[in-house]
Amino acid sequence: MSTAIVSHAQRLSRIAAALLGGYVFAWGFIALGVAAAFAAGMPFHDAEHLFSLLAFLLYLVTFLWSFAARDSRRVWLVLAGGGALMAALASLIQHALV
Amino acid sequence: MFQNFRLAMAWVHTWFGLFLGFVLMVVFFFGSLSVFDREIDRWAIPESRFEPQPMPSFDEILKPVFEDMQPSRESVDQMRSRVDGPMPEHFDTPVRWGAYTTHRDPVLGLFAGYQVPNAHNPDELVWGTRTIDPRTGESLPDDQLKIGSRFFYPLHYSLNLHWKDLGYWIVGLAALIMLVALVTGVIMHRKLFRELFTFRPNKSNQRSILDLHNLTGVVALPFHFMFAFTGLVIFAGIYFPVTHTQLEPLHDLHEVMESQETGLPHERAGVAAPIASVDAMVAEAQRRWAARDMAGDVGFLALQHVGDANGYVSIYRAGTDRIALTGEGIHFNASTGEVLREDPPPSAVERIDEFLTGLHLQHFRHWLLRWLYVLGGLTGCACIATGFLFFVEKRKRQHAKRGQIGSRVVDALAVTTVTGMLIATLGILIANRLLPVSLPARGTWEQYCFWGIWGLAMVHAFWRTAPVARARLAPAWGEQCWAIAVLAVSAVVLNWITTGDHLLKTLSAGYWPVAGVDLFMLVSALVAVLTARRLQRRARPQPADSGELSGEAAHA
Repeated sequence: MSTAIVSHAQRLSRIAAALLGGYVFAWGFIALGVAAAFAAGMPFHDAEHLFSLLAFLLYLVTFLWSFAARDSRRVWLVLAGGGALMAALASLIQHALV
Repeated sequence: MFQNFRLAMAWVHTWFGLFLGFVLMVVFFFGSLSVFDREIDRWAIPESRFEPQPMPSFDEILKPVFEDMQPSRESVDQMRSRVDGPMPEHFDTPVRWGAYTTHRDPVLGLFAGYQVPNAHNPDELVWGTRTIDPRTGESLPDDQLKIGSRFFYPLHYSLNLHWKDLGYWIVGLAALIMLVALVTGVIMHRKLFRELFTFRPNKSNQRSILDLHNLTGVVALPFHFMFAFTGLVIFAGIYFPVTHTQLEPLHDLHEVMESQETGLPHERAGVAAPIASVDAMVAEAQRRWAARDMAGDVGFLALQHVGDANGYVSIYRAGTDRIALTGEGIHFNASTGEVLREDPPPSAVERIDEFLTGLHLQHFRHWLLRWLYVLGGLTGCACIATGFLFFVEKRKRQHAKRGQIGSRVVDALAVTTVTGMLIATLGILIANRLLPVSLPARGTWEQYCFWGIWGLAMVHAFWRTAPVARARLAPAWGEQCWAIAVLAVSAVVLNWITTGDHLLKTLSAGYWPVAGVDLFMLVSALVAVLTARRLQRRARPQPADSGELSGEAAHA
């Protein structure tokens, strides 16, 4: 497909962001979702199922966004940074519960 | 990076679709065959060609078989490194016994898990399996490969590549890309829809392939989306093991709370206790289901902490009358027979999860729907295959001019994953009929034949796609179509010669599992012959515009 000024590094960065960044983000989303919902009284397996189900749809959206977004640094920041942040919050909630 | 949104999506569609398409082809094709995995098992194991049977009496049939079982040699060998000291000769403490059947199973599969003395992790078990004739309790030989349910079925979700679960991860990525390809395809299609009514000179061939690609993708769009999505959901625990890594402590907290709530013992008591009549428990479970207006058969029966005072029996209902994969489990104290617990009605989330899982795994009894599943899966194959062909058609002239080999390589891989995959599939069925019955590890040899034949088909595909580099049609397509026709007819004839079950016999007896597999192969042979002949006709007179009908091969 014809593209404008595309360097290999840029393309690789997008692919990595879509796959790995998206994975981290989905992971953080599940972790935070399960921990928060369980803390709020939702049965554990319900929380587990609900958030992994939504996480796959989220992964699909972030995957497409990684290629559609204009600024790839922002993609990395949101996906990896946001994912790590959510995962950290999940651990904090867990720490408070266990 | 891209000029606009649509171009970005088109790039994603083309390149991710191409690379993961080869995996998706395998997933969709063997997934489609898995709809009839039990029937393919019947074809492959002639001793098991009789009518489906209900769960037999535990007290009379199953108990003696379970008591006779031991873990498999492979399971014991794998465990060896995680144990202090030598492994025992005989394993005396079964932790779990289970028997599982469906409305399509004449034979019954049993499994047993055993405690290992001095294991580093005392919860880790060694496992044994056995397949029996439920009418007599007699065992079937261990090394008979259930080609449908133990080879084609796992192939479609794990590629039978078990090293570090790598196969699961590749298929998972492919499923995600399937979702991506569907969404990006629709985004591209908005423009394409208009383009269909605009002028596209001298491209009838390329356009017909693209039309077929769009048609198969759009017609079955909800089907494709649901299958890729539910496939991911089923293995969510593998792809995102959050609650077994980061949130393990939270999971453990929940487990303790849960076992308090369910009353089902988590550990052995260490006090031996006999097993009461399980048949009586089954009768009680069926009575309770009937009282809920859900009369049904037993699908899954399991004993936990066998022979211990904390032992319990779990009885689950077969889900032949609904889409949702539910068990309606009822649990009994193994030594007294009293009911410990009835699984509560599912929550809203569980209901969604059971529905999505059941939609993919289809335990229901509905033959028309089963065939529609096969049709949907094969439509997916046609969509992916025409995607490859479009890729090749669009680029091969340009590549030929510039001396690039890209389109030739893609065409060779497309031949390998379309016709080559069919050749390998027929190959394992033929090997199943030809290998001597007494051959040790016969099932392993059958698998070697499958991969070996597929490898040969790949070599042939790369050799006979050379003309693509000159923008011509690859002879590999037509040649492999002929091979499919010959192999499919051979498989049917070999079934007749080696078992005596020819089509007239199976059809007149109404034994559809075997008749269906035979008929399906004969129809494939016919389609392959028609395709091969049209390809030949097309290749001969017009050297300028070849390859038009390679799209047909995708249907074979």
